[in-house]
Amino acid sequence: MKMKELAERLTLELTTPNAPMEAEVKTGYASDLLSDVLANSIEGDLWVTRQTHLNIVAIAVMRDLSGILLVNGSQPDPDTLEKAAEKIVPIFRTPLPTFEIVGRLYQLGISGRR
Amino acid sequence: MLELSMHILDIIQNSLRAKASRVEVRIREDREKDRLIIEVQDDGQGMPPEIAKRVADPFYTTRPSRVAGLGVPLLKEAAEKCGGHLEVHSREGEGTQILADFQLDHFDRAPLGDMGETLAILITGNPGVNFLYLHQVDGQTYRLDTREMREVLGPVGLEDPSVFAFVREDVRQGLKKIGAATFPKIAEILRGPETR
Repeated sequence: MKMKELAERLTLELTTPNAPMEAEVKTGYASDLLSDVLANSIEGDLWVTRQTHLNIVAIAVMRDLSGILLVNGSQPDPDTLEKAAEKIVPIFRTPLPTFEIVGRLYQLGISGRR
Repeated sequence: MLELSMHILDIIQNSLRAKASRVEVRIREDREKDRLIIEVQDDGQGMPPEIAKRVADPFYTTRPSRVAGLGVPLLKEAAEKCGGHLEVHSREGEGTQILADFQLDHFDRAPLGDMGETLAILITGNPGVNFLYLHQVDGQTYRLDTREMREVLGPVGLEDPSVFAFVREDVRQGLKKIGAATFPKIAEILRGPETR
């Protein structure tokens, strides 16, 4: 499913307005431990997390993730947004907790298969 | 807990429950050795050795309202997952020292968080307690001592709303000035070393 459609169907708020939304999202990974994401995410994953600081952009760039989805209404730090805009990493927000949003992503066909 | 400042707040709340009249927070960053050391020292009622040995056990608490006390165990876990450790030193009637050691640039080292907000909450919420905050980055030091603040403030108490804003901003700016490592080094990959 294209990022744009995913965001619309799950009412995700895009916090990085200029990020491209045409990427195809097929898989996702949920974790708040950066070393875990670095070790276990795969290229193209949508990363679901509670972490909001600058390092999440570094991880997304390193692993070539399709985007970051912040749960529980978390607000990205200002320097996170700045770097995400520069590196063209889409960051979304949802008021839902991880369990709920991951379930909805799965229902839309986004899997955690490695 | 997502930020170290939240761990520190939790540990200091233990000090306040132990009736401390002075709490000293010392944070040392040693970039050469890649270590971050957080030390909280209080002059509260302290603990006998058998209790001090158990405070890092998540199912142990001295509070009757809870079945588990998580402040120390969570800090221990945070330190250990970043190549560090936690020590508890306590003497009954004299006070307690909690020391947590982290690898400064470990990928999973939590951000420092807002120490300005944390100290502002503690200082204005506990005007009868003296707080010392020392943050050292290699050779540079930021220092805030409420004993010195009292001398300057005179009749204005530490609970005054203007104190909250002052402490919050002074700490934030002070840490920025000494280049406190808000994040582990991974940010440098994108940010460049000069802005650390």
